[in-house]
Amino acid sequence: MNRLHPLAAATQALQRGLAGLFIATTLVTLLTALLDFGSTSWMIVAAPVGFMLGGIYGIAYYLRYEYEVTDTTFDVSSGVLSRRSREIPYRRIQNVDVRIGIGHRLLGLAVVSIETAGGGQTEAMLNFVSEEEATRLQHDIRRRTARAAESRSTGAEHDRETAQAADAEREATDGLASSDRPRPSADDQPHSDGPTPQTAPTARSDDTQQAGYSQHVDRTQSLFDLEARELLLYSFTSFRPALGAGLLFFVFIAIDPVINHLVTVAQPVGGPTDFESATVGNYGVLTIVSAIYGIVITYLVSVAYTFGAYYGFNLSRAGRDFVYERGLLQRYSGSIPSEKIQSVTVTDNPLQRLIDYAGMWIETAGYGPESGSGSQSAVPLAQKDRVYEFTERLTGAETPQFRNPPTLARRRYFVRYSIIASVFVAIVFGVSLVASIGQWYLAAIVFVGVPPAAHLRYVNIQYFVGEDHLVIRRGFWRRQTTVIPYYRVQTISAHRSVFQRRLGLASVVVDTASSSSFSMAAPTIYDLELEDARAVTETSRKRLQRSLRERANEDDLGLTVDFT
Amino acid sequence: MESLNTRIRLLWIAQGAIVAAVLGAILVGVDRVIPNVDVPMAAIAGVVAVAGLLAIAYAIRHYQRWQFELQDDALYLERGVVTFVETAVPFVRVQHVDTQFGPIERALGLSSVVVYTAGSRNADVRVPGLTPDRARSLQDTLRELAIESDTDDAV
Repeated sequence: MNRLHPLAAATQALQRGLAGLFIATTLVTLLTALLDFGSTSWMIVAAPVGFMLGGIYGIAYYLRYEYEVTDTTFDVSSGVLSRRSREIPYRRIQNVDVRIGIGHRLLGLAVVSIETAGGGQTEAMLNFVSEEEATRLQHDIRRRTARAAESRSTGAEHDRETAQAADAEREATDGLASSDRPRPSADDQPHSDGPTPQTAPTARSDDTQQAGYSQHVDRTQSLFDLEARELLLYSFTSFRPALGAGLLFFVFIAIDPVINHLVTVAQPVGGPTDFESATVGNYGVLTIVSAIYGIVITYLVSVAYTFGAYYGFNLSRAGRDFVYERGLLQRYSGSIPSEKIQSVTVTDNPLQRLIDYAGMWIETAGYGPESGSGSQSAVPLAQKDRVYEFTERLTGAETPQFRNPPTLARRRYFVRYSIIASVFVAIVFGVSLVASIGQWYLAAIVFVGVPPAAHLRYVNIQYFVGEDHLVIRRGFWRRQTTVIPYYRVQTISAHRSVFQRRLGLASVVVDTASSSSFSMAAPTIYDLELEDARAVTETSRKRLQRSLRERANEDDLGLTVDFT
Repeated sequence: MESLNTRIRLLWIAQGAIVAAVLGAILVGVDRVIPNVDVPMAAIAGVVAVAGLLAIAYAIRHYQRWQFELQDDALYLERGVVTFVETAVPFVRVQHVDTQFGPIERALGLSSVVVYTAGSRNADVRVPGLTPDRARSLQDTLRELAIESDTDDAV
């Protein structure tokens, strides 16, 4: 059994000690204030005692926290008073992530998280171990996971998906690699157009010394490096509204200086000089200026955040796993077993579409370090053609022949957005009754936006029912094109609201095990004709059964797919 | 297609009645607690009555809409009053099956079967309004079908 890094004992002791101190002082305060029992002078004794007890607990926690890499499972036993020992089978591990914060970096430390599909949180979090240990663990677990998969595929329970994914992966490697370096295989077609930012495959020296099968498992091969130009494009073309919420929190802390500043900024363009003599118009200007100001600041912060988070991004293949690394101040690295991939999503926003760029995300059933969902960026941003080609190779899906929902759907969006616009105008009218806004009817200008909005929503909804995959595209601001293998479908349902029923439309919701967060809701094909929706559902069900049969048949044949 | 037990309407009506009662209680509370607000008793009664009637209509319609069927490969359900939902849960995807009943269900002699999948949305699918015997037999059937079609679980 291994322990965490000795420094973890110190931080645990300090953390728990402070918690103990807090509890002790709170208790004394409550006793004296509420129950008139004891006096505040007890604090002198209670505070150090609380700190001591907490510190001892922290050290005990460190001493009682042990982990071990065994042949079949990763074991963690923890807990001081109540003990928990947990065994995670390798074949159940979704991904292994290593996070190195700024402080950790200075001291050569790292936090390792091991995710499975179960539960709503990380199954094992080693907080923290030394950097070498983290690398060793990631490496070890990867090798053992691969061995578990290997023994499964040579045994009765042959895993076609794994081999298929591995094939696709290998093709993907060839697809994204540049032509200026020696290739392992003969299919030497230059797939990528334009200069591609690939580095030569890196075979780690310590890996090459290992014999036979572990050699191919451990060999890492670079798939994608985010070059400076792409990093800058990605930073400047992505907008993270979630960061705006964080800024709002900051505004609440420093409310007065912020308001004063906003007033000063808004004054030259017609804002109020002070709050007593201000008119409604002044307030309107102040609101608009504040909103623009907020958006600009959020954008700048999001540019900086994206730059910091994706600096030095690279994706490579190590055996059956995808391995990524990124981050300027805080380094993240992680590995995703290829057979755990639930679906693959290509995302782009209007700006990125304008310059023909897109990004790609891999979704697993685990929970990644980002936004607590299992989606992991595989290619933050690259030229559209390359991303789509890479996606096709990775999933083995054919080039989608997209279909659109009927034009009736567009009418629906037109009506929907008209209603929203009407509500807006009504609100402006309502305000004009209590406050003096001269030309309230000018608000009707929002109706101009309705037809393009409806059209844009409509044209961005597309779907393709492929042989082995379902491809679903939706969204305008953050367009997502998700490729779902039928084999990954969990449930499939058709939804028809009152309004959809009137028009004979239905939406198809395809649920997979990928842990989606609120930003990435379950893939939905919106507003199909009812027959089409039912046909999509039927086809998906049939093809799910077919893919299951195919896997079972290959089992009987006892096919083994050589990974090398 | 199989329908639910007719007593499920009573359960849904009871649930609606509880909501209506809570609504009434809130209105009475507003009337009593906030000094300058006077909610006439007739209005409260009216609101409660309308809510109750809506609940009854909803329960009846809900019952009419609710149907399920064990198909070759999947448990198929149709339900919904405002939004019609047709869901297929392939047997291979069933992780585990529960039977459950709450206090009102128990009083009415009803039971629910809950089917869990590994999915992220609609991960648990509930079939309410079954007699305890039917619930148990459905649970057994689903379990057998899930084991029969057992493969690697795609997670």
